[in-house]
Amino acid sequence: MELLRDTNIDFMKYRKFWIIVSLVLVGIGLFAIFFHGKLNVGIDFAGGTQLNLQFRDKPEVDRLRSILAGVGLGDATIQRFGAEDENEALIRTRLVEGKTEGSRDVIVAALNKAYNADQPAGKVDVNGVGAESVAALLFAADPDNRKVQGEDAARAHYEDVAGKMMAKRRDVGLFTSWNDLSGVPGVSPQAVSALQQRATLGAFTVTGTENVGPQIGSELRKQGFWAVALSLLGMLVYIWIRFELRFGVGAIMACIHDVLVTLGLFALFGFEFNLTTIAAFLTLIGYSVNDTVVIFDRIRENMRKSRRKPLIDIMNESINQTLSRTILTGGSTLLALAALLWLGGDVIRGFAFVMLVGILVGTYSSIYVASPFALLWEQYFAVKGERRAAPARTDAEAQPVRR
Amino acid sequence: MKRNLLWRGLLILSIFAAAVAAAFPLDKKINLGLDLQGGMHLVLQVHTEDAVRAETDGDLGLMLQQAQKESLPVTGRRISDTAFEITGVTPESRDKISDLYDKYLQGGWDSDIRPDRATFTMKPQYVDQTRKLAVSQAKQTIWNRIDAFGVGEMTVQESSNNRIVIQLPGVDDPVRVRNLIKNTAFLEFRIVRNGPFPNRQAALASLGNPPSGDAEILPEDVRDKADASKILETVYWVVDKQRTVTGRDLKNARPSRGQLSEPIVEFSLNPQGAEKFADLTGNNIGKPLAIVLDGRIVSAPRINARIRDSGIIEGGFTEESAQDLSTVLRSGALPAAITYLEERTVGPSLGRDSVEKGLLAGLVGTALVVLYMLIIYNLSGLNAVLALALNIVLLFGGLAAFGAALTLPGIAGVILTIGMAVDANVLVFERIREELHAGRTVRSAIDLGYEKALSSIVDGNVTTLIAALFLFQFGTGPIRGFAVTLTIGLLASMFTAVFVSRWMFDLVLSRFRIQKLSI
Repeated sequence: MELLRDTNIDFMKYRKFWIIVSLVLVGIGLFAIFFHGKLNVGIDFAGGTQLNLQFRDKPEVDRLRSILAGVGLGDATIQRFGAEDENEALIRTRLVEGKTEGSRDVIVAALNKAYNADQPAGKVDVNGVGAESVAALLFAADPDNRKVQGEDAARAHYEDVAGKMMAKRRDVGLFTSWNDLSGVPGVSPQAVSALQQRATLGAFTVTGTENVGPQIGSELRKQGFWAVALSLLGMLVYIWIRFELRFGVGAIMACIHDVLVTLGLFALFGFEFNLTTIAAFLTLIGYSVNDTVVIFDRIRENMRKSRRKPLIDIMNESINQTLSRTILTGGSTLLALAALLWLGGDVIRGFAFVMLVGILVGTYSSIYVASPFALLWEQYFAVKGERRAAPARTDAEAQPVRR
Repeated sequence: MKRNLLWRGLLILSIFAAAVAAAFPLDKKINLGLDLQGGMHLVLQVHTEDAVRAETDGDLGLMLQQAQKESLPVTGRRISDTAFEITGVTPESRDKISDLYDKYLQGGWDSDIRPDRATFTMKPQYVDQTRKLAVSQAKQTIWNRIDAFGVGEMTVQESSNNRIVIQLPGVDDPVRVRNLIKNTAFLEFRIVRNGPFPNRQAALASLGNPPSGDAEILPEDVRDKADASKILETVYWVVDKQRTVTGRDLKNARPSRGQLSEPIVEFSLNPQGAEKFADLTGNNIGKPLAIVLDGRIVSAPRINARIRDSGIIEGGFTEESAQDLSTVLRSGALPAAITYLEERTVGPSLGRDSVEKGLLAGLVGTALVVLYMLIIYNLSGLNAVLALALNIVLLFGGLAAFGAALTLPGIAGVILTIGMAVDANVLVFERIREELHAGRTVRSAIDLGYEKALSSIVDGNVTTLIAALFLFQFGTGPIRGFAVTLTIGLLASMFTAVFVSRWMFDLVLSRFRIQKLSI
């Protein structure tokens, strides 16, 4: 199936208009990043504590908020996440001087007080501990009468039983009642009732924690910045060597445009900006430059072919020739990303969003930003160098092609 | 031409076979990152200044001890983490101090010996050495502790700035592991002078006025006999400041059970420790002996007889805490305090969730791309799909060969590679179409298509590779996984989309006379 064939669109005709549009988009992006929505900087860079929790009953965000208001960790961000029926919540607190390391324990203690008040204190919470603790409890109780076969055999047996119980917990997230344990193969009813007597089932479990201290946060910030800055520079140099400086400049302008516009939208939508997002932005940069390079490559080829043709015409011709490829590739990547966005889950969603928006913006920019800027750079330096004050067409014509 | 085809085919086949051998079975060969498998990632800061200070204290003690042997009436004090001074030096004792310096301190210390005082400053390289040693000791100690806990595969690595990075896949009780690692478990035995008192003030009052300098007050938590985790009250004891026997004198420690089958810790002492312990207990029969852990009294049993080389610690342990204390005592003390700079744990259920979602997204994404290519390019699309399949196999083979872990961002990287791998095919196919429109034969259109698209493909991939390399250089953890995936994916896609896909065209063209290309 062939979508486009022999198109002849004058992309460069309204280049000034598109440059203004691009500048406005960048302006909106900057406004969103710094003033309006502000970037939702995650704990990777800001430092702080994040807990993923799963509850027995549906957690109420307001209740969680009021519980956490009293623990002295500042404003907590509380979100529901995951599927509606999984009763999961995410708590994030900002960095509080000197308290980062302990904040997890503070939060868990506060939640315990609120949610597990009815549970007998001091007992092991089977929803909170690991297999080894459960095995030790079972070993002490010896519900299956294995100690007659010797301590080691008994220990091995109860480690096995505890392992099976924990595997079950992995499946269900947390045990809502002791009945959840009864059906597990290899676990005897005696073992369950022994646990029931000696342990409790808490109303929530911590499925994940992240704790990032201030030092690491600032280091990751620095690393992220340098990763982006240096990869931009690296690509500029590569394009400079392979093509010409003006093309390098055009490609990097397109890139910066893409990053700022996408980042702006990202801020408007309130996604969390974290390490994964940096990866997404670097990929977006790679994609955007790739897209631009394909067009520049064609421009270079056509410049060699017809040396007398004005650069602006060559650009138009090249963009038209590669248009079908630009759209087809964008389409296939968008399909893969759409799958990621809808099915990849919460953690990957921010990533997929960046790439999705980035590919749309990147495709636009390789046509309407990169080439116009390469042309603009050309004109600007031509005027500055006080060569002929001629229009771009003749100016480009006069410019010898290096390769 | 035919032979050329054969060789190319064999090369492709052997690379394919190598990738399959490296990557399959997938669940055995591909490491999942902590974010997918569940587990713990910790970054610890070792406060090496503690070790440096301890070294300074130790050498100060050594000098004073030797000076005492020579009957020199000097006193000394530490003036900073890396320096101490000896005062009371007389013109007569100056040479002797100088001799002692030559004998004991010269290697690591700079000296400034004056008529009335001597100052010793640790040499910078010795400070460095002490710090490095502290980090590697801490690493070893932590390794021993986690190993005793039985976590399975783990990595404990030293990193820059006196840090230690710990990766523990599959840990199911992160809180316990975290406390185990950080546990200082500084054990000491002190003779009790007086007590217990219900509060600190009462204990302080018993010290007299002015309070005597060789005693101090330590708290004890009195626990419920039936439930060791419940603290009933806190009482205070007055104990000797002097610590003769400490955890360093231990030979072994293990959890055991007391008379009422309550959890206790049994310990035994090494020969020097036993000597000191025998003296301590022998001279204080009838007095309570405080067993102190991290500045809190665990229990204070009465000394009934002289004890030499073993004993028990009882006093409100749970099964777990007895086990953990034994582990920590056995593994030795940490040479310096540590703090957690970064801690990430992913529960196994969260990780599994991510794997399932990532897999589903991957399968659907791949299916969509395959369908897309078949619709757009018909039979040539099949060529691209085969190249893509090989690309994915190579990608996993590469991941396995480099031992790189597949992380959640890594899965995103795989999906992205799939999306972008077809870019090379699209470039070539579009070029072939152009050449066909220009009226060329199938054979020359294919040749020219690959030839002309090559520079675009290389330039595009190299620029993305540059981004991936910087990502690898600056990224940590999951991000590195992503960079590795992307790099392998890009290299693999250049190979499959240019070399393999071309070979398939050539193969078909050599067998059939094709007048019209399905593209």
